[in-house]
Amino acid sequence: MKAKAITNFLSGLGVPLVINPDLVIEKNGRYYLTNPVLKQIIRQDFFYAGVFLGKVKNGKFFPSFNLLTMISKKGANRIIIDKKSAWLFICGRDILVKGVIRILGPAKKNSNVLVVNEFGECLGFGKIVGNLSNKERSNDVAVQNVSDIGDFLRRER
Amino acid sequence: MSGREFFQKRYEQIGWKLKEVNLKQAIRVNQTYSKEKNLVNRLSGLGLHLEKIPFLNNGYWVLESRVSAGATAEYLLGYYSIQEAAAQIPVSLFSNLKGKKVLDVAAAPGGKTVQLSDLMENTGVIIALDVDKRRLNALGNHLERCHVANTVVYLLDARQVSTLKLKFDRILLDVPCSGNFVTDKNWFKNRTLKDIERNAKLQREILTKAIDCLADQGEIVYSTCSLEPEENEVNMDWAVKHLDLQIQEVDCYGNEGLTSVFGKQLDSSVRLCKRIWPGETQGFFVCKLRRSKKDESKGNY
Ligand SMILES: C[S@@+](CC[C@H](N)C(=O)[O-])C[C@H]1O[C@@H](n2cnc3c(N)ncnc32)[C@H](O)[C@@H]1O
Repeated sequence: MKAKAITNFLSGLGVPLVINPDLVIEKNGRYYLTNPVLKQIIRQDFFYAGVFLGKVKNGKFFPSFNLLTMISKKGANRIIIDKKSAWLFICGRDILVKGVIRILGPAKKNSNVLVVNEFGECLGFGKIVGNLSNKERSNDVAVQNVSDIGDFLRRER
Repeated sequence: MSGREFFQKRYEQIGWKLKEVNLKQAIRVNQTYSKEKNLVNRLSGLGLHLEKIPFLNNGYWVLESRVSAGATAEYLLGYYSIQEAAAQIPVSLFSNLKGKKVLDVAAAPGGKTVQLSDLMENTGVIIALDVDKRRLNALGNHLERCHVANTVVYLLDARQVSTLKLKFDRILLDVPCSGNFVTDKNWFKNRTLKDIERNAKLQREILTKAIDCLADQGEIVYSTCSLEPEENEVNMDWAVKHLDLQIQEVDCYGNEGLTSVFGKQLDSSVRLCKRIWPGETQGFFVCKLRRSKKDESKGNY
């Protein structure tokens, strides 16, 4: 299936495929989710279409923020972080144990997890590198930042 | 034929005295995606104080800001866009956008594409074109940030739009133009009358090709951020006379279009256009068009 990279990424976050593969189109390693109306009129030489899902580079999948937002509403593994940590996270920083308010999902070391603020809004994702609930080591890094919405600003530079 | 004095004299001839303008920052709330987010209060909590712009539906002036309006989580989450106040007007002139097929001919970096998608509540289809790949990347980022799902983008010259073989219910012609001195410090130094004439010609070419793709009963909105009549009223006069288009009355901020320009008398309907001289906003020009009745009935025979 052409959206294999996406499926693998999603299963790592504990969510089944939430998109219809027949509506996924690919161009230069970039994946887009269309809908039946768009699919009907789209020409091969499009530049961008529908919902950008992410890109595959050197065999690795880099999800878009649209995809992360979609799966955060579908019960993906995630952590909820406090206000200060949320701000630092979108500035590209890692998350310390003390910034984690709640953990939803198994939170296994070395697995990916969505990062969500107090309003339930997805700010990106990271890799679990520490013990999320070890309050004695509250200044340790719990989740390494892999990708955050501050990237929209960094891209434009 | 260039320089500050040259243009100042031209503006005086058409009734405006050149003055310095300090542009206020404005944002536009993306209604579809930020519903029930209590956005204005949330932003005020961050030290971003807003005031509703009286002549716009979803526009706010940024009165005071402790944080950059373009760097809040709310901005990055797509709840609002930074969009100059006058630039919010063209899209607001279309009627009933929901479920329609819409063409945005010169779309990058996408401020108005996102606004269209918002008013369409992400239904229907937008086809967005531009010839500048770097600006199209910015458009893609903008669409992703604002969760736009109904748009297909092509790197395509608007004059080739017929190759898409589609008919559109609404066409936005936010055409490439000479801009104005409010948003470009070196405008008077860099611009000549020749540039303006070249842009006016390109605009007429784009307009001519675009109307071939207009569905019966379709609507066109033509806009520029140029103050130069050649790119505005004179082109609309030409469209009325050569393309069987009719100018529609619109209810929005701005002055009547000029009907007498440097000694030339234009079609009286050109006064229905809106000319926005710099002041509260940057300079802008908008005009809504439809096929003239006689042309529509021609198509029915
Ligand atoms: C006024 S800007 C458009 C702003 C855009 N509508 C927005 O709201 O963000 C004009 C755009 O026209 C594009 N352009 C210039 N010549 C063009 C052509 N022949 N066909 C399509 N786009 C063109 C430029 O690259 C530029 O991005």
